[in-house]
Amino acid sequence: MAKNNASVWTSIRFWRRSAAWVTGVAVVLLIFLTFDTMSQIRMGTDKELEQGIKRRIPAPTVINHHIDYKYDEKRGMEVPVIGKKEPFFGKEWSPKEARALLHLGKLTVQAKNCMDCHTLLGNGAYYAPDLTKAWLDPMWEKTMPAMTGKKTKEEAMAEFLMHPGQYRTHARAMPNLKITPKEAMGVVAFLKHMSSIDTNGFPRGFSKVIKEGKTGGTYAK
Amino acid sequence: MGFHMFEPCTDVACNNIFAWLNQGPLTLTIVLHTILILPMFWIYFSEKKKLGK
Repeated sequence: MAKNNASVWTSIRFWRRSAAWVTGVAVVLLIFLTFDTMSQIRMGTDKELEQGIKRRIPAPTVINHHIDYKYDEKRGMEVPVIGKKEPFFGKEWSPKEARALLHLGKLTVQAKNCMDCHTLLGNGAYYAPDLTKAWLDPMWEKTMPAMTGKKTKEEAMAEFLMHPGQYRTHARAMPNLKITPKEAMGVVAFLKHMSSIDTNGFPRGFSKVIKEGKTGGTYAK
Repeated sequence: MGFHMFEPCTDVACNNIFAWLNQGPLTLTIVLHTILILPMFWIYFSEKKKLGK
């Protein structure tokens, strides 16, 4: 029998079968990943929050809890830690109230176009500070409540949002967007909830930037 | 720092195989490329056999 020197590499059948295999696997994988992602980015329920079941996006009632941000040695990144209950604007919000407040906050953030200057969960601009973890910025612990004459972090944030021109902290001043007191509460709730979202360490090195970044720049030292 | 081929899952959700495969040096990229490329050897040799006939 004569030796057949025809190469497999020039065989159309080989390439067709390979392409069918790769495409088929990719289709199955992408369908699986779509459903997997959908379940992972679903907002958690109030029951899960009460039972301490970790979700990437906790229920709106997370605004009734203290939120911390700690470096996780194993994951090599900072992760939100949902702590004990604390009053938010002086009260505990029911699941329905919390959801409504968060919704108002989201609508306000969209209507006032915060992303024109700020970044939220990776979307937006870097003209003004990244707001993804704004709630955790230590500036709101003492400096801003003292500056605005308010007792709590949330009240100081709401006051700043309503009258940003009066409390200038950066050369780039925030314009007055005519935010109403109720809308300001919503925005603060929205920001508090956002800080509790597990963003896989985004923005990278947040605590380090806050500690070392005296000028507020993303990579300032 | 010890070297482990399989690390315990430290992700938020560990209840799916891709979270586990994504830990340590045995990354998802390597796993996916392996499962894609290995059957292509079989396709190659089966085509070679057919061409030889």
